[in-house]
Amino acid sequence: MTDVPVSRIRNFCIIAHIDHGKSTLADRLLQDTGTVAARDMQEQFLDNMELERERGITIKLQAARMEYKAADGEIYILNLIDTPGHVDFSYEVSRSLQACEGALLVVDASQGVEAQTLANVYLAIENNLEIIPVLNKIDLPGADPERIGEEIEAIIGLDTSNAIACSAKTGLGVPDILQAVVDRVPPPPDKVAEPLKALIFDSYYDPYRGVIVYFRVISGSISKKDKILLMASKKTYELDEVGVMAPDQRQVESLHAGEVGYLAASIKAVADARVGDTITLLANPADEPLPGYTEAKPMVFCGLFPTDADQYPDLREALDKLQLSDAALKYEPETSSAMGFGFRCGFLGLLHMEIVQERLEREYDLDLIVTAPSVIYQVNLLDGSTMMVDNPATLPDPQKRESIEEPYVKLEIYTPNTYNGTLMELCQERRGEFIDMKYITTDRVTLHYEMPLAEVVTDFFDQMKSRTKGYASMEYSLIGYRKNDLVRLDVLINAEKADPLTTIVHRDKAYGVGKGLVEKLKELIPRQQFKIPIQASIGSRVIASESISAMRKDVLAKCYGGDISRKKKLLQKQAKGKKRMKAMGKVDVPQEAFMAVLKLNQ
Amino acid sequence: MGPAAPPGPWPPRSAYLHIPFCHRRCFYCDFAVVPLGDKADGASSGSIARYLEQLLAEIAAAPEGPPLSTVYVGGGTPSMLTPAQLGQLLAALRARFGLAPGAELSLEMDPASFDQVRLAGYLAAGVTRVSLGGQSFDDAVLERLGRRHRRADLLQAAAWLAAAQRRGDLASWSLDLIQGLPGQDLAAWDAQLAQAIAQGPPHLSVYDLIVEPGTVFERLERRGQLDLPDADLAADLMEHTGRRLAAAGYGHYEISNYAWPGHASRHNRVYWSGAGWWGFGLGATSAPWGERLARPRTREAYGAWLEQQRGAEGVAGATGPGAAAAAGEAAGEALAGMPFDERVLVGLRRREGVRLERLAAAAGLGAAELASLLERWRPYRERGLLRAEGGRWRLSDPEGLALSNAVLRELLEWWEERDGRDRPGD
Repeated sequence: MTDVPVSRIRNFCIIAHIDHGKSTLADRLLQDTGTVAARDMQEQFLDNMELERERGITIKLQAARMEYKAADGEIYILNLIDTPGHVDFSYEVSRSLQACEGALLVVDASQGVEAQTLANVYLAIENNLEIIPVLNKIDLPGADPERIGEEIEAIIGLDTSNAIACSAKTGLGVPDILQAVVDRVPPPPDKVAEPLKALIFDSYYDPYRGVIVYFRVISGSISKKDKILLMASKKTYELDEVGVMAPDQRQVESLHAGEVGYLAASIKAVADARVGDTITLLANPADEPLPGYTEAKPMVFCGLFPTDADQYPDLREALDKLQLSDAALKYEPETSSAMGFGFRCGFLGLLHMEIVQERLEREYDLDLIVTAPSVIYQVNLLDGSTMMVDNPATLPDPQKRESIEEPYVKLEIYTPNTYNGTLMELCQERRGEFIDMKYITTDRVTLHYEMPLAEVVTDFFDQMKSRTKGYASMEYSLIGYRKNDLVRLDVLINAEKADPLTTIVHRDKAYGVGKGLVEKLKELIPRQQFKIPIQASIGSRVIASESISAMRKDVLAKCYGGDISRKKKLLQKQAKGKKRMKAMGKVDVPQEAFMAVLKLNQ
Repeated sequence: MGPAAPPGPWPPRSAYLHIPFCHRRCFYCDFAVVPLGDKADGASSGSIARYLEQLLAEIAAAPEGPPLSTVYVGGGTPSMLTPAQLGQLLAALRARFGLAPGAELSLEMDPASFDQVRLAGYLAAGVTRVSLGGQSFDDAVLERLGRRHRRADLLQAAAWLAAAQRRGDLASWSLDLIQGLPGQDLAAWDAQLAQAIAQGPPHLSVYDLIVEPGTVFERLERRGQLDLPDADLAADLMEHTGRRLAAAGYGHYEISNYAWPGHASRHNRVYWSGAGWWGFGLGATSAPWGERLARPRTREAYGAWLEQQRGAEGVAGATGPGAAAAAGEAAGEALAGMPFDERVLVGLRRREGVRLERLAAAAGLGAAELASLLERWRPYRERGLLRAEGGRWRLSDPEGLALSNAVLRELLEWWEERDGRDRPGD
């Protein structure tokens, strides 16, 4: 299996927007090459995390090795490397692109190119990948391959004269795609004789075998008997397994330059074998690692607290376990007088945060309170020192601060031009600075803004989608820190400061946010046995207040023979619901209230 | 069973019969009912005739028991039965259990489903008490509720019942009203109460509208087309009901029930006392020995269940101590098999509350355990919502009753936690 000549290997990935049919096409390729029998085909084979399948998006990438008999009668090895499709995971995308020589650019023949696709195509071009345009879903009535082909030419400058029209759903055009991969994607450079350099483009944690590392051999070869060195983490391991994904893991003796495979070496945590790290041989190491390695930096932070204080040790254990498989997850203990013991956690973005939260609740059966997301602020103190603040509640008092700086991003929104107005209004509301607007085709534009990250990580994405009926897409990247007139907005529930609801906002928006926040909390916190004042304040100055009236009526009207069981069940259900709330002082606060700041526009 | 097992259980002395037929399903109703159309009647309906056969068979197959002191025929619209059909059912109960002297025989009746002749027939068959499903005196409201009757029907029916009671042919009767209806304000509700009082019913049941899943009202609410009173108005309406009826001489003897002295529903009091009862018919719940059994809610499933019971020994729900208990003596506060938490749950609905210490002792709870419950109740006790007087714990009227769910949730949580602690040691 591994005596395949380098000249007959093709490594490629698929670049596509969510819903444009990437997973369906991948499944079709596996089926048409006989890699997976049709009857074993689970829909969307490559997306094998339950959560991913539910959300229809790819979070963790995977790879598959296919054997394909080309028109010349030779057997070729085609390695498909899947890429995640979300902005939170652009670093992983760049690493998986580096493992390829070619890419299928899959575009929905009725929808056209989206911003996320565009960002990934540019990354692919930067990595010198051969790009094969594929116009998918041509079986649908709205398909207009000619127009979309022109659009791709106009936007990206790709020659689409030999674009392949296909329907991943029906299988139409799929053989052409396989042949095009052989014909047009260049074989990997033959560097078998050089010292081993293999790029880690993915890994996951297996409780029995330790971390499973997915890699592409760039030069040299690796065999089961080797001892390896990971050049960034400086860790060394003896290999337990080397193999390929066909698509199930199959052990082989060795893999050489150009090939894609996996290894297992009893590695304890994915943090020890990070995406982008270079594998080399301990006995004959490479001079320098492959370029481009960076450690994933969390951009979004929030507090995670167990609803029930007794679950704190369980939460710690769950986070420890999750981190084994998620190197980007950062956390440290946080204590709050209002919330008790919990953790301050850092994430790549909002989606990453939601995924971690869901996994904790689902896989570890924890009831959690998640506080509203925050970015990391740089605070310049009067004594000349600076500190980084990822928790608004810990922002030093104004008397000690010289200034606050917040992270800014370059934001690109790609949209049909009919939504220009509403999107510019949204960006304006979110303190965006307009840079430019470019017409890409006659009816599509890119809007370019610079905007505080804090405004993006609140519900910006949802707002953009709802204002454009889902047609707009976006992409952002960090461009540095800027000074702004920021203040700390505190919330008091029943006269007690509610740390987890503290936010940092621009002074000009503080009044509006404060008013919106107390109104929203009034809506989200159920009536209780006593009246509850809710206030928003800057320092000691209350800028908005509301109050929740005491509960006066909470009674089951009718209760005769047959009703008793039903009423009892209802009361038990209500009691459980109350348990899922967090007691702040005497007030029971439901989970969604802690995210109130994200819901001000609803 | 441990040494502290409660005494009893006593054999049931009450029976509930379910008549599922209705002319139409009202827009708020989620009961087990079978709508047969506006013209249907027991005299001509094959469905009703077939169902009665099943019901008679179920009664005949029940285990023996002492004579019944209360019978309640509910529905549905039991007044769709002819007096002869009702007579057959009562005869079946008499044959199986016997009827105690002075037994209370209650029948639910809907305005516009009966006339004076039919009423006389029911009374002749032995009915002593009628519960009239009036709901509202406002035609527009009745229309919105999906009711078949109108204000004039209600006034006529109430007049016949009042006359029968004055003549001494009917021991008591009750009128049902619904409060918290869409668009209802305090003035409109007060007018409803005034008209209800004017009809002179010795008993009134006032229920809050509850929007149940699967009803027309639920659909309307989802679409935002049900302008229900807000939380404060709903509380005002309830408090007003209590004041207004108290001023008219009605005692508030249970959360939703008001009566002149001596006119409380004996049958319903059985449910709140924790004692057992027989139940017969589609969708009916029985609990002869404390453990409740709900029968299937459709005709097909109920029929199949009856067949299955016929194969098995006796009728399910009648399992338990069986005939041996038939000789038991009923006495004082019945102490059947209902668990402690449920006995408190139903008992606190009553004006007289519960004898908590006695129930706890009967359930084998130690003083420390009872103290832990009282500790959980401390906030409610401190506010005077719940208090002990003369060995009875009761909810204050109106605040305590209005917030009873909060008190009951504490009770159920406490009971569940206690259960959880007990189990590993078993």
